Amino acid sequence: MTPATPTLLRPTDPADVSRLLAGARAVAGGTDLLVQRRAGAEMPTLVDLSGLAGTRPAVVRDDATGELTLSAVHPLTDIADGAARAFPALTAAIGQFASTTIRNRATIGGNLVTGSPAADTAPALLAAGAVVDIVTPDGARRTVDLADFLLGPRRVDLAVGEWVTSVRVPQPPAEGGFRKIGGRRAQAISFLNLAWQWHREPDGRLTGVRLAMGSVAPTVVRLRTAAAALEAQIPTQDVVDAAVAVIDADISPIDDLRASAHYRRRCARGLLREALLPPSPGERPDQYVTPTTREKNQ
Amino acid sequence: MHVNGDPVATPAEADHGLRLLDYLRDHLGLTGAKEGCGMGECGSCTVIIDGRAITSCLVLVGQVLDAEIRTVEGLAAAGHGPLQDAFVARQAVQCGYCIPGVLNSCAALLDRDPDPTDAQICEALDGNLCRCTAYNRFYDAVHDAAAARHPNGAGA
Ligand SMILES: Cc1cc2nc3c(=O)[nH]c(=O)nc-3n(C[C@H](O)[C@H](O)[C@H](O)COP(=O)(O)OP(=O)(O)OC[C@H]3O[C@@H](n4cnc5c(N)ncnc54)[C@H](O)[C@@H]3O)c2cc1C
Ligand code: FES
Ligand code: FES
Repeated sequence: MTPATPTLLRPTDPADVSRLLAGARAVAGGTDLLVQRRAGAEMPTLVDLSGLAGTRPAVVRDDATGELTLSAVHPLTDIADGAARAFPALTAAIGQFASTTIRNRATIGGNLVTGSPAADTAPALLAAGAVVDIVTPDGARRTVDLADFLLGPRRVDLAVGEWVTSVRVPQPPAEGGFRKIGGRRAQAISFLNLAWQWHREPDGRLTGVRLAMGSVAPTVVRLRTAAAALEAQIPTQDVVDAAVAVIDADISPIDDLRASAHYRRRCARGLLREALLPPSPGERPDQYVTPTTREKNQ
Repeated sequence: MHVNGDPVATPAEADHGLRLLDYLRDHLGLTGAKEGCGMGECGSCTVIIDGRAITSCLVLVGQVLDAEIRTVEGLAAAGHGPLQDAFVARQAVQCGYCIPGVLNSCAALLDRDPDPTDAQICEALDGNLCRCTAYNRFYDAVHDAAAARHPNGAGA
């Protein structure tokens, strides 16, 4: 049975949030929390963070350093618009996230705080070396590396009364991307996902290679061994084979309700191969748009 | 809060924690938005909030007190009569349960892009499940509506 109607508090000034959060829970897009509530979770008082979006921009780029500050309380649609070319891996992840209707509500803050190993924004942020900006109950700030923030399935480094205000990443390189495997294209929780970023030098070598994968360990993890096998290399077939061959060292998948460990190990190799040697458009398995009368006839 | 262009009485504080879907149906008598799954998956509760298609089962009333909300009841007044006509003409409706949500997703798309491609329509409808009709009829109806709304535009 759905629990009683919660009291909803809606601060419009960030300075009021900590005070209101005493004895309450935060809600942003509600796309995780309200599903839990429907399943019976009691939450008598909620503090709505989505109203804070009006007080600041979704994405700010520091012109001197290129650092990006991403709002934790804006819908993903706004983050993707604001970060578009500046952060290709995150933009790609948002493009494959849930559905248009959910992207119009869901936030990065909610995605990270759920602590899901399948959270689709986490791999791009982890690969980019993100830090999480947290407001403590006394209104002070603390900053923690995303790698340390993610503690385990549904566990993050966030004390009662704390909230996430933003996530910052050093300027990401121009090349990056994201792929996920799910039960279907839309509204699918990832069986597995991969984000990557690297610089491509004029001679074709990849440097600054950073890879992160979700749903293959208790938290989203960096693929450090595979990345080391690619560093300063030209991604020829042999180099890619070598990187793919060592990926098992970086992951520890388990059997769960969505997929088996064996399947995940196979997919991990496939995703990395596709990231490095993308299938040409002609052989893409991605022709999901059935041509309609109009486009068939063009 | 504005609903379908008109101001509505500010919801009582005790109602701020209600789902927008329930508030629209039970307090405002706007039963166009339907509950399918109640968990953001099916899209039958989709309404337009400040120009964006959003599942009203995952929004609380207190989160949208200052928003412009549009439901299927207000689509024609917002200039989307041709979209509704095109759905009828293309026989894009069978049981109709999904249709208010589908129409809102299509209307929000048309307001953003007056002449969308199939790929854009596909993306706009990725949160709307229809178990009866064929999605290609939705696509054809959206193209017809685009042409009707902008008879001199490129989409004709
Ligand atoms: C149909 C559907 C499809 C989905 N598909 C995907 C998908 O493809 N990929 C994916 O990764 N996820 C998916 N999800 C899960 C969910 O949408 C995401 O995790 C989303 O990012 C949650 O953000 P939110 O703002 O809606 O969080 P909410 O539901 O508002 O909150 C989630 C949790 O985080 C806390 N919280 C929220 N914001 C903050 C903050 N700023 N500071 C502190 N605590 C906070 C809340 O208290 C709550 O515990 C899907 C969900 C649905 C319903
Ligand atoms: S009832 Fe809201 S998405 Fe299904
Ligand atoms: S017409 Fe029946 S669900 Fe779409």
